[in-house]
Amino acid sequence: MTSFYRNQGYEEDPDYPDFPNSRANLGSQNSPSYSYSRKNVDNRKSQDNAKHSNTHNYPDYPNDMNSPDYSGDQDYPDNLRFRNHQEYPGSYPNMNFSRSQNTPDYLHPRDSSHHSRSRRNPDSLDFPVTPDHSGAKDYGNFRESPDYHVGSNASSSNPKNYPDRLNSLGISDYRGVGSRNNPDFLRTRNNQSYPESLGISDYQGAEDNLVSPDNGGSAYYQGSQNNHGYSFAENPEMDRGALQRDPSFHHPHDRTSGSPGRRNQDYPESFQMTTRQPMSPYIQHPGPDPDGGYSTVSEFFQSMQVWQRTLKIIGGKFGTSVLSYFSFLTWLLKFNILSFIVNFSFITIPQLMESKPNNLSFNSLELLTGAGYFQQTVLYYGFYTNSTIMRKGISSSYNMQLAYIFTIGLYLVICFFCLLYSMACSFRNNFINPHIYSRGTAKVVFSWDFTITNEKAVKLKQRNLTTEIKETLSEIRHENVIAPLKQRMNHLGIHLGAWIVSTGVAIACCVAVYYLSFYNLKFLTDHKNQTATLLLPFIVCCINLFVPLFYSSFGLVEKFEIPRHQVFVIITRNIFLKISIIGILCYYWLNAVAISKKECWETLVGQDIYRLLMMNFVFTLFDSFCGEFLRRIIGTKLIKSLGVPEFDIARNVLELIYTQTLLWIGIFFSPLLPFIHMITLFIMFHIKKISLMMNCQPPSKAWRASQMMTLFIFLLFFPSFTGVLCVLAITVWRLKPSDNCGPFQGLPSIIHAIYGWIEILSSKPGYLWVVWIYRNLIGSVHFFFILTVIVLIITYLYWQIIEGRKIMIKLLHEQIINEGKDKVFLVEKLLKVQEAQKKPSPFSLSLERREVEVSLKS
Amino acid sequence: MGSSTSQLSKELLSEYQELTFLTKQEILLAHKTFIELLPPESQNVVDSLTAQVSRVPTEKVLTLPELKANPFKDRICRVFSTAPEKDSLSFEDFLDLLSVFSDAATPDIKSHYAFRIFDFDDDGTLNKEDLKQLVNRLTGTEEDTQLSPSEMNQLIQNILEESDIDRDGTINLSEFQHVISRSPDFTSSFKIVL
Repeated sequence: MTSFYRNQGYEEDPDYPDFPNSRANLGSQNSPSYSYSRKNVDNRKSQDNAKHSNTHNYPDYPNDMNSPDYSGDQDYPDNLRFRNHQEYPGSYPNMNFSRSQNTPDYLHPRDSSHHSRSRRNPDSLDFPVTPDHSGAKDYGNFRESPDYHVGSNASSSNPKNYPDRLNSLGISDYRGVGSRNNPDFLRTRNNQSYPESLGISDYQGAEDNLVSPDNGGSAYYQGSQNNHGYSFAENPEMDRGALQRDPSFHHPHDRTSGSPGRRNQDYPESFQMTTRQPMSPYIQHPGPDPDGGYSTVSEFFQSMQVWQRTLKIIGGKFGTSVLSYFSFLTWLLKFNILSFIVNFSFITIPQLMESKPNNLSFNSLELLTGAGYFQQTVLYYGFYTNSTIMRKGISSSYNMQLAYIFTIGLYLVICFFCLLYSMACSFRNNFINPHIYSRGTAKVVFSWDFTITNEKAVKLKQRNLTTEIKETLSEIRHENVIAPLKQRMNHLGIHLGAWIVSTGVAIACCVAVYYLSFYNLKFLTDHKNQTATLLLPFIVCCINLFVPLFYSSFGLVEKFEIPRHQVFVIITRNIFLKISIIGILCYYWLNAVAISKKECWETLVGQDIYRLLMMNFVFTLFDSFCGEFLRRIIGTKLIKSLGVPEFDIARNVLELIYTQTLLWIGIFFSPLLPFIHMITLFIMFHIKKISLMMNCQPPSKAWRASQMMTLFIFLLFFPSFTGVLCVLAITVWRLKPSDNCGPFQGLPSIIHAIYGWIEILSSKPGYLWVVWIYRNLIGSVHFFFILTVIVLIITYLYWQIIEGRKIMIKLLHEQIINEGKDKVFLVEKLLKVQEAQKKPSPFSLSLERREVEVSLKS
Repeated sequence: MGSSTSQLSKELLSEYQELTFLTKQEILLAHKTFIELLPPESQNVVDSLTAQVSRVPTEKVLTLPELKANPFKDRICRVFSTAPEKDSLSFEDFLDLLSVFSDAATPDIKSHYAFRIFDFDDDGTLNKEDLKQLVNRLTGTEEDTQLSPSEMNQLIQNILEESDIDRDGTINLSEFQHVISRSPDFTSSFKIVL
């Protein structure tokens, strides 16, 4: 679609004001020959097209012939200019699209370029048509072409055809013959490949063929198409020639490897490189770092390299799917490092300058409970002061209340946009036109995992691939056979039962957690036993560990026909369980702990979350040991049929999402929680790596890693992050902060800190703009109403555009199929002509040629 | 890596860096690996860079641990070799190879080369024979993993149904890229790191 845009886009281009004319020109100039050729084809669409171009554009024809645009080298300059402008944002207006859709002749730009190509390319495309139209102009052209003089037989003329043929390949010869070192061209080439590299349009490849004659891919395509035609002419030499030509697009140093002076200009890649570099999201991509900063940068990379190495080894042994878990883990780790830095520098450092020494004693159990000694540290909300921090000698002051609320708020906003961005990116990449979603045998076959380097892993992967291919094939075979009604009812019953059981278990767990938490609160007020505080997190972690195992045992009863469904069902159930448990806990914190009149309830909540996180970490270690290590021992020593366990990606990733959700909730109550989580994630990375290396084998089912990652990021966004936002919003707007501790002590609710600040500001004339922004934008209902309406309108427009694009895709798809039919037809024609030409003698052919010349002159 | 900096001049290094998708470190590592593959008498910087003198024969390249187990290793070497007989790699070919298989290479370039690797008869399209050979390499050569002829036929039929948009019986580059664009895992799996 994008390239269609591009094509349309250059109509708008200021450099090309007379385009509408020239477009007609292109169409009309080429249409005569085209319509002739098309009449042979039983192809209504293109025929209509051709007629259309005849009737509409033909009147323009004489004028346009005189137009200066076409005086010289026909298409090339135009094409180049068009390429140069294609990535200007101005050339993407939406109205363009709708126009193109509504105008009846919107197919023209594409067709015209196609025509022009076939026009320039008399040897390959017009040739097979000619016998039917001996009087046609094209035929004459063809006859007059020098190739024909060389030999009357098509196959014998091929070697000579070669240079001509290159002309027909569009640009490839343009640079090959003439201006190879022309940097302009390289840049244009580069521009064009750049949007492709973003993978915006999925139809790109196929469409570019139709649209752009000077595209690398299309040149290849065309070459191959032509070759295809000619290979019937028994000329393999030719094929190879054209093919050899093509790589020069990307790697011209094929020819210039000995000459370093020219290499720079001859590498299109170098230009691609320079444009990509600023966009490159990879951190390990240092770019052109100045020599001075080399040492620090390289030091940084050396530390990164440790990860890189590990990830490479994991990828080499287990493939991309398991790798995706580890990259998710490192992504979360980086994310937490960021939040730690933000919180530490804006909240903790100012507080540390103020704080009194801590005189509580410390014992090791407190590491797990987070109480006692930690209660009086910067770890928790309760320790922070509500005062304004002043330093001697510095006139400005630091208001802790505002710092606290703004830092957390800003952090959440950053999180929101980070998540939104990565989610949008992976959606764009992975759910491109799902309506053409197919079974994907082709995908399985074409995406061999080149990262695997371990010999055993390769063998295993081959075996798994075989099984998968066989399964898919048998699925296709059985697809048409509909199972009998009784069997289907049976299946439905089992699924329904499994859902009821799983939901029931989840609800039971929630109820248990609910009563336990309220009972626990009462118990703790009576007794001051530290170990008792660990009961709740212990139970919650047990539920989180064993219920999913119970769920996955359903798989033995529920026999899913498509393994992907099973994964989705398991993930849905697990997410439901975890989110509802977190929901119950939140309810408990906000409705029981917050109004229990305890001193510093925020700290208590922070401690609860700390305990949950620590306990979860312990359980993860336990799980790696028992779940994987003992399972391997059992699988290899005792019950051989079980075999080595597989690494359960879904369960592990869900675990990560769960802890991240807890962390987000806890960040308000305990600002340094990211630091703790950072450490646990770091340890977990290594533990999981070791456990994986020692105990596991790669998953046997093909795992659509990136699609799963999209799902996981979506889950991280939707129930998890949005839920956290709700909880924190309630905390900030509704709940009364505790009276004697924390930065917000004494306020009716936390948001009053902002109200108070605005009050103060409104008395200072210099800050009235802040007050204005607050009153009219942030605090105003009308503004949000208008904003919502605008967003809704934009969404609606985009939705309409998507609908339009779907229609376009369908049309283009049909067109491609028609082109394919044309191609097959032309190839058949070619074969026939060759058959016919083998028989008559050269003499009669030359006679025929003379006849044509005579008819042309007249 | 500091020790190997002296082996390649700075200008050359930055030039290579500009011309490929690789970082400085990766280029240095590649050079080191390449020199180790050369015969001992030409293991110096000047020789290693002259394409005429030092070409590593394909058999030697295939002993690299990164390529050794790859079922497409011979195809990879063949596609990237610039020697007339397609049997050896110069240092620049080697860099090319690593560049295409690096993280930063665009999906477009990657799919282009994937197509050429899978195009066993080098005729510019994937026909049934190519697909058959491709599937055979994917499933391995052992008895128990091979597909029966009828399965193979059905599979190829399916692949063509899915990917051959213009219905001419072969898969050309753009059709191939179209399929690849729908499989987002491709970019992350079409990767070889030294």
